[in-house]
Amino acid sequence: MSKELRFLIVDDFSTMRRIVRNLLKESGYADADEAEDGVVALQKLRNTSFDFVVSDINMPNMNGFQLLSEIKKDDKLKHLPVLMVTAEARKEDIVMAAQQGAAGYIVKPFTKATLEDKVNHILTKMGLK
Amino acid sequence: MADPVEQSPNGSFATAQEVHHQLGALTRQLHDSLTGLGLAAKVKGWAGELPDAKSRLSYIARLTGEAAEKVLNEVDQAKAQHDFIATETRRIGELIVKDPVAAVAKGHVLNFVHDVENASKKVDQHLTEIMMAQDFHDLTGQVIAKVVNLAATIEEQLVLLLIKTAPPEAAIKAAPTHEPYVPALDGPVVNGNDNPDVVTDQSQVDDLLASLGF
Repeated sequence: MSKELRFLIVDDFSTMRRIVRNLLKESGYADADEAEDGVVALQKLRNTSFDFVVSDINMPNMNGFQLLSEIKKDDKLKHLPVLMVTAEARKEDIVMAAQQGAAGYIVKPFTKATLEDKVNHILTKMGLK
Repeated sequence: MADPVEQSPNGSFATAQEVHHQLGALTRQLHDSLTGLGLAAKVKGWAGELPDAKSRLSYIARLTGEAAEKVLNEVDQAKAQHDFIATETRRIGELIVKDPVAAVAKGHVLNFVHDVENASKKVDQHLTEIMMAQDFHDLTGQVIAKVVNLAATIEEQLVLLLIKTAPPEAAIKAAPTHEPYVPALDGPVVNGNDNPDVVTDQSQVDDLLASLGF
């Protein structure tokens, strides 16, 4: 069942999108799409069905916090788990993300095991795995 | 007697003391001009940001260096595994050519299959590590953007100062300056150990969230 889950990877750096995409694939989640900022991500989320969002924070046009806020305000999207994967390491950012409804928070640089653990933990918690 | 240190346009030499006085006068003039133009606070801000820019450049150098070393190490190990597979393939090939039945019966073929499978897994792990090492592009890219913005802001303000202090005959109309980009977020932690307000690894993130009940 878990292999059919569809992921959206949001990051303004294509290198990081490829890394996350490849890691998810290695972990058994091959179905993924990409967006370079919050605006594009929101468009894709509203036009296509996704099960999981992995998002950076510091991005142009619409940052990860704004994207998270838009997702949680949208009745059709608010159920989506959003895992923040970011270089932002201020404690207040981490707390803010949790308070806004982020399902998890990973600081860059991270390992394959960390990403896999967080994704699996969130999916298990949501009964999706 | 003071040493002559500089030859003036008319051919005479200025003493070190005279040069010192001239520098002092220039510094005071610059200070007065900056204060008069309301730029003193901005210059004070640059002074605070320049050491930060130095730290950020050092961070870039360290991160790119570490990434390069990691990739080279992983390539070395992957190549060693690849060499092993190549050597074993030649060896088993010779055994099969020599006596195919014995090669299978004595377990040489099955051992070879297991060895290749294990070596392939290791090669795959090294390739994953090489891929992960490329995250330096994202992290250093964010830091470079901040340093570039700082340099652009300083350049812009210096040009503005030059225009405002230019004599009337040399004055040109200043182009309207765009608002300097102020990053909303801090980006990668450059000196995390010195700052209690930031986390330096994932375990600290997990502990923080757990302490808040998330």
